[in-house]
Amino acid sequence: MKLVIGNRNYSSWSFRPWIAMKVAGMAFEEEVISLYVDGSREKILKHSPAGKVPILIDGETHVWESLAILEYLAERFPEAGLWPADQGARAHARAISTEMHGGFAALREECGMSFWRPPAKRDLSDAAKANVARVQEIWTNARAKYGAGAPFLFGKFSAADAMYAPIVQRFVAYDIDVSAPVEIYMQAMTGMPAWQEWRRAALRETWVIPKFEHDWPEVKRLPAEAA
Amino acid sequence: MKLIIGNKNYSSWSFRPWIAMKVLGIPFEEILIPFGTPLGNPDFRTQLAAYTPVGLVPVLVDGDTHVWETLAIMEYLSDKFPDKSVWPADMKLRAQARVLSSEMHAGFGALRTECPVNFRRPVRTRELSAAAQANVRRVDAMWSECRGKHGGPFLFGKFCAADAMYAPMVARLNIYGQKVSREALGYMDAMMALPAWAEWRAAALKETWIVPEDEVDWPTVLTA
Repeated sequence: MKLVIGNRNYSSWSFRPWIAMKVAGMAFEEEVISLYVDGSREKILKHSPAGKVPILIDGETHVWESLAILEYLAERFPEAGLWPADQGARAHARAISTEMHGGFAALREECGMSFWRPPAKRDLSDAAKANVARVQEIWTNARAKYGAGAPFLFGKFSAADAMYAPIVQRFVAYDIDVSAPVEIYMQAMTGMPAWQEWRRAALRETWVIPKFEHDWPEVKRLPAEAA
Repeated sequence: MKLIIGNKNYSSWSFRPWIAMKVLGIPFEEILIPFGTPLGNPDFRTQLAAYTPVGLVPVLVDGDTHVWETLAIMEYLSDKFPDKSVWPADMKLRAQARVLSSEMHAGFGALRTECPVNFRRPVRTRELSAAAQANVRRVDAMWSECRGKHGGPFLFGKFCAADAMYAPMVARLNIYGQKVSREALGYMDAMMALPAWAEWRAAALKETWIVPEDEVDWPTVLTA
């Protein structure tokens, strides 16, 4: 099984299935494609007509779109328990994962994911602030209802946590003010060995995408040793 | 089980789970709450709150379980009614059906903005931006490829959740008179020939609520 991903520093969509697979202990190869440079589109199109990363390749089956990849993995590896075991909890997990998939446009636009950006606040629009409030509400409600004292959204790490992982990083990078329960959740996420592994690799990357750098032509970045 | 939906004339998201459940033979009670717009229903929020804490439509309410987001509703139905084949039975095809459904869920922004679902509007060609035209081409290619590979009449042979996800797209391409390939046209004809499609459309045409932002000819409201 192979997962085709983009730059670790910026590619929030790539981060989702990657961290889900790592945490679940699934074995896979990686192909990293440097995005927005000459030839990157052609490389992606070799694997998927939609021209987007991530792409999961399992023999002849090519699956793209993060949610579809997570559903595929959940079916292929039922013992990994990628979705919560309880039907009601599973429905809730899928609802918030889907809300992530199609939503929070303002927050995503204004706070592009970046691991090497030294954490600093940014002025947000009202729409982005509303997104921040909704995300915190989603996390808090899920943990209160299904978390049973454990740190993740549904107790044990699930596909829903993977879907929200890039938002956790955005909250870190843009120093978003959060409630105490949300802080606990974010610490659990960023403390995972898989998270640290991705972060270390992201900090070592040298590919810079100007349109995702707020201070361009300056690129503010944490030193690789920070990881 | 209750499905809470918005106006049939305009609510593309409501149309998806509704047509899926009708075609797949999953019984449900329908609760329609018209949208709150200047010319619509000022009590939308209050009426919705009586059924669900989720402030959006569609919502599927099954006992204590409230499921929002169309794709999550499809997955819930698939979980709960394994014998109804909400997704294709073959694992590979199922993966592809989910890929296309996810692509629909978050994509085709230009086409959706420029061609809002509006069953009441007579079929009339609308000039689209380059971005929306690219969306039309991608949808056409996707439908044609699926029908070519799996033989039709629906995307994966038999009607499944992916068809439900694209149902509003069929309506958009038809209502705004977009030119598509013969294969895509065959798909649209198969969808629009479903009795469930006719049932939804007939109810939509009887509605009198107006949502100005979905009327592209505003202040004219064209009616068939």
